[in-house]
Amino acid sequence: MDDAQGTLARLPERAFWPQVRWQAGIFGAYFGQFVKTRLAYRMDFLVDTLGVLASIGIQLAVLTTLFSKVSALQGWSFEQVLFIYGFSLVPLGLFNLVSVNLYGFSDAYIIEGKFDRVLLRPVNPLAQVLCESFNISGLNEIALGLVVTVWAGIRLGLQPGALDVLALLVLAPTAALVYLGVFLAITAVSFWFEDRMGIAPPVYNVIRFSRYPLTIYSLPVRILLTFVLPFAWVAYYPATWFVGGADLKFVAALTPLVGLVVFGGAVLVWRRGVRNYTSTGT
Amino acid sequence: MSDVLIRVRDLTRDYRLIKRREGVVGGLVDLVRPRWSTLRAVADVSFDIAPGEMVGYIGANGAGKSTTIKMLTGILTPTGGEVTVGGLVPWKQRRQYTRHIGAVFGQRTQLWWDLAVVESFRLLKKIYEVPDDVYAAQMGVFNELLGIDEFLHQPVRKLSLGQRMRCDLAAALLHKPRILFLDEPTIGLDVVAKENVRRFLREIRDLQGVTVILTTHDLGDIEQLCRRVMIIDKGRVHFDGELEELRRRTGHRVRMTVDFREPTSGARLATVTAGLPVVWQEGEGRRHVAEFRRLDVAGADVIKRVVNDCPVRDLALAEPDIEEIVREIYRDSAAAAAPAPGRSA
Ligand SMILES: Nc1ncnc2c1ncn2[C@@H]1O[C@H](COP(=O)(O)OP(=O)(O)O)[C@@H](O)[C@H]1O
Ligand SMILES: [Mg+2]
Repeated sequence: MDDAQGTLARLPERAFWPQVRWQAGIFGAYFGQFVKTRLAYRMDFLVDTLGVLASIGIQLAVLTTLFSKVSALQGWSFEQVLFIYGFSLVPLGLFNLVSVNLYGFSDAYIIEGKFDRVLLRPVNPLAQVLCESFNISGLNEIALGLVVTVWAGIRLGLQPGALDVLALLVLAPTAALVYLGVFLAITAVSFWFEDRMGIAPPVYNVIRFSRYPLTIYSLPVRILLTFVLPFAWVAYYPATWFVGGADLKFVAALTPLVGLVVFGGAVLVWRRGVRNYTSTGT
Repeated sequence: MSDVLIRVRDLTRDYRLIKRREGVVGGLVDLVRPRWSTLRAVADVSFDIAPGEMVGYIGANGAGKSTTIKMLTGILTPTGGEVTVGGLVPWKQRRQYTRHIGAVFGQRTQLWWDLAVVESFRLLKKIYEVPDDVYAAQMGVFNELLGIDEFLHQPVRKLSLGQRMRCDLAAALLHKPRILFLDEPTIGLDVVAKENVRRFLREIRDLQGVTVILTTHDLGDIEQLCRRVMIIDKGRVHFDGELEELRRRTGHRVRMTVDFREPTSGARLATVTAGLPVVWQEGEGRRHVAEFRRLDVAGADVIKRVVNDCPVRDLALAEPDIEEIVREIYRDSAAAAAPAPGRSA
């Protein structure tokens, strides 16, 4: 394998699809390990599930009560609002599934120096950080979100074609990239500063504004959610593919682009951060 | 050139440290306008290492050993200088490079805390794409030399320090790396565990021809493992050569500790060894310490004089520890005001 004593053999770079397949295999291996260790804590999973069920149940109850008083909200019917709400849970679940390690990143990886180990392995550092822990209750959110969405869709009398199914498969994950991008960028800042203030929690709270039709908010909030913290792209804009008018389909189709731009930008910040990593003294 | 595997030139690394102001107000001011100071942890370090060498990198705490290793393994980006290992730049071509190296940091495990040892190994096998037959063979070697099969199914967090170190060594070597970096691999281990680690490293070098760089502040590690030593202090390399050469330069200095049967004065001892190049350090009562160089005088002659003149209960000879040697070498190279000696090839 090694051609000469004083050189290290370079392995051929994998082509795109083999690389994707390989990365997926690594993801699967990490996920399998995680599930195995968590099997020991079955109660945790149960409690998590109940927690997710309760919080979604409360939000649904609020919506139902609201719509028992009014028949429409800024022109949005109960079913349409429900559809957007259900849809919003899918990207949120995907995001929650892989993002747990971003919250403790500064403490566990930077201050404790666990990132050393990540850099010593021939797997993309970001992929490792995301895969080293999962939040299984994200799966609950995805499943419940799909149930609510489908139920609302049936009530709305939607007749989804093949294109709509494809749209769902593309829109939900790319919408999740918006969340991931925003929180990745925030996380990457800890390569430069100890984030003692904690900007992540307040930003996380803004997520809840992204569950409802954007038009119910005032103009500044709409601008904020579209361009600054672009969470409107996580549920409202993509969901309008299904429940908005034909004129909104074009906007919905921009979601993948927004997702890739936000996430791509965050990855650039992250990479600079990795170069700036200083490890820890002993 | 194929006889150099690791090539390091003028390697330098600075850390920026925030100079904190006092009090609450000071803390707020720090946030807005931090004051930075720079610490040069590694300064203009250069050396070459040939394939198959086992090199000891020694120095006191804070000398810059770990920082050097972190740059050689690609964890840290240097402030200046160059490193190429087998044609690769560690921090730039990380994905290619890390396949060829293994690293163990004595202070911190490289394994997953919650996973059983064997699960960690399986994950590593997947990450490094280790073929089944190589994996089986390596595990066989580790079981035989390290006895890791005893605790293969325990989670890493439940292992003792010695067991954990054995696992870390195995994990670092699972993919048959060409180079092994060890940062204080024996720190905190008891004598037996230390001995086990050293024996394993000797065997694995003979078996798999791996090139090893190991940092330590325990001279015992070096004596048993390395012919070549580098001494680093305050980020600079002050000595790079064979262990024998190091001994010769310090003149095989020894320290003799004597316990007398009755209180003895320093003046008395000075007269006892008069004429011999022996220095008695300030001592009191029954215990005294003398220093001399084996090059200047035979230990037996010194001992004979002392034992003949005073009733001695116990007597021990000890080589100087690493801190002393470093201090001595440092003093020498500062006195000569010359750059650190190059490697006597
Ligand atoms: N991540 C870091 N940030 C700031 N200073 C550091 C960091 N790591 C090490 N240092 C400082 O750099 C110097 C060298 O440290 P190190 O390389 O760990 O030495 P050694 O391993 O020889 O004990 C020390 O003064 C240490 O305090
Ligand atoms: Mg150290």
